[in-house]
Parts: sequence; structure tokens; C-alpha cells
Amino acid sequence: MSGTHTDSSISQQVRDLESTLEQRGVLSGLELDAVIDRFLASASPLNGARLVARAWVDPAFRERLLADGNAAIEELGLSMSGGVQPQLLRVVENTDAVHNVIVCTLCSCYPISILGPSPSWYKSEAYRSRVVRQPRQVLAEFGLSLAEEVELRVWDASAETRYLVLPCRPAGTDGLGEEELAALVTRNGMIGTAAV
Amino acid sequence: MACLPEPATARYHAGDRVKVRTYDPPHHTRAPRYTRGRVGTVMEMHGVHRVPDDVVRGVTPPSSEAVYAVAFAAADLWGEGQHQVIVNLWESYLERQERA
Amino acid sequence: MVVARVNDVGGMEGFGPIETDDDGHAFDADWEARVFALNTALVRKGVYTLDEFRDAIERMPPSEYLAASYYERWFFAVRTLLDERGLLA
Repeated sequence: MSGTHTDSSISQQVRDLESTLEQRGVLSGLELDAVIDRFLASASPLNGARLVARAWVDPAFRERLLADGNAAIEELGLSMSGGVQPQLLRVVENTDAVHNVIVCTLCSCYPISILGPSPSWYKSEAYRSRVVRQPRQVLAEFGLSLAEEVELRVWDASAETRYLVLPCRPAGTDGLGEEELAALVTRNGMIGTAAV
Repeated sequence: MACLPEPATARYHAGDRVKVRTYDPPHHTRAPRYTRGRVGTVMEMHGVHRVPDDVVRGVTPPSSEAVYAVAFAAADLWGEGQHQVIVNLWESYLERQERA
Repeated sequence: MVVARVNDVGGMEGFGPIETDDDGHAFDADWEARVFALNTALVRKGVYTLDEFRDAIERMPPSEYLAASYYERWFFAVRTLLDERGLLA
């Protein structure tokens, strides 16, 4: 959804702003290129999927991940400290009895370093307004229907905590190795709008 | 359940009933309107962080306060629903709710 | 001055269906990536804070906020903050 600007108009405005800042010595185009490249290279849902798979195969790691996400992810070479403000990673576990789903009603806070860029729907007013009020219906729209007795928890990331859902390990996966398990994990599963 | 250490100076602890202040500030804040005046239960503490309300108003230095994960029952927020909504709230957004 | 802060949408109704499809791309156009990078770099350099960035988005007139796309809002905020700091004159 676009505002009153056409894409060419706003892209010109952005270029003009960049030039102004470069001329004033505030920052350079090369710095911006580096920011984009680093972001696209390192931030991906594959990071989260590796954490989930490790937690599934290694119960002691799972405990550490749930107790202190910031420390545990460093075991896999990941970090929450690349950002500009300290962020706490809280991993919330799905079970047979509990299903978790994440939102930021106030803006769109999201664990970018663990899951990559957020999907458009996550940032939308439609999702942010409804999932805190009618989560069961919202999940059904994503194709996820939960038994009535499953307790639903909606986590609103209104401060510096970033949440990651640890989905249930699917049945019939006992023979799979960590890499194969990671391939089963989707971004929506780690937000809570899919089972896995 | 995370066992995040609570500093000795944290005002609230897991299990405390707290009410979100009804005050609607004329500046940036991070207490969503749907929580104002609502009573929830402190689940856990999520560290100590600078208060955004202070940062945007140029309060120097900005206060740093405990941030809590507070669980609200859907029925208490919306009058219906079986789910819980857990919201991160700075300490100064909250006041203690004594049990009746 | 009280600002409407229409970003605070939890529990509000009337926003229509959720478009659950997503192509997985971070940016729909190059300018969006530039805006993302601009904001990231400016916050890292301490020109302004993330809190001030969110506040600037929230200060958008409500009708403009609702009509704007995600990165259009970012661009509005970046421009506002730079302007208020005299960096665009």
C-alpha cells in the first residue's frame, strides 16, 4: 500500500536526502551499502531454525535457550548484541497444552537477527490489532486450527524483549538429523502463526 | 519459564497483581492503550532499561527501570476470550493492586 | 499538544483481512533498502535514538500514517528527525 507518492518520486526524495547527508559529511553511500549487505547476509530465519533444531535434539540446550536466550544463541554463533539497544531474547515454548504467538501492537518489533526481515503481514494494522483480541480466529486464517483446550498466549513485544516461539517437534521425526529438522522449521512457526 | 535474575531494587515480583496506570500521556510511551487501567499478573522481569518516555522528552539522564512481562486475561481486556496477552511494561507504568 | 498516536492499534477493529501471503522479500524497492540503511546508520551514529524514531512515526498526522506504507513512514520519521536537528538546511 502506497501513500500519495509514486515510487519514482519517493525514490528521488530518498536519493536527494542521501546526497544532502553525504555533502554535509553525516554519512556516505558506501556506509549505507555496507549496512544493507550485512543485514541481508546475516539476518535470516535459517538462524532461528538452527536454534529450534538444536533445542529439539539436545534437552540441555533447550533448557539453556529457555532460561537465557541471549547466552544460549551464542553457542551457535548468533548474537542479539548487533543492534543499537540491548535486547533480551525470550524463547517461548509450545507444548501440547500451550501455543504461543508474537506481535508488536505498537509498531513492528521483531527478532530480526534471528528471523531475518519481518513479513508484511506482521507489520500490518490488521494483524497487530486483531491477534491480541481474536488470536484463535487469526491463526485459523493462517491455516492453523488449535484444539479448544490448548491455552493461547499472545506476547506483545512492547519493550526491548524480542520473542521467538519454539515450536513442538513434529511427530514421526525421530530418525532425522539436526539439519533435516531445521529444514522443517518455518518463519511462521517461530512467530506462532504456524504449527512448525 | 525463564529464570531471569531480579535486581534487589525491583518493586514487583512474579505473582504480584498490578494495575496499569490510566494516565494517557501527551508523549511517546510504550503502554498500549488496551492495557490502561487493566489489572494483570507479573510473570517475570525482563531486565532494566531506559524509559522511552524520558528519552523522547530529553530528560537527562533518562530513568532506567525494571521492565516486567505482565499477563492479562483476555476476559479482563476485552470482556471475552480464553487467551492471555502478555505485555512488557516499565515499572512506572504500573501500580500495585492489592487483593480484595 | 496531544497527538492521536494512531499506531496504538491493539484491539481496534476495522482494519480488514490479514494478507497472510508474503513473498519473503525484505524490500519491495531499492529506496526502501536505502531508507532502512539510512535509519540504521543514523541511530548507530547517535544522531537520534530508536525511541525518538518511533516517536517521530507516531507524530505523523493520523490520515497520513494510515495511508503510508511501512517504509514511507520510516522515511517521514528520518526526514522529520534530521530536519528538527538542522541537518537538512
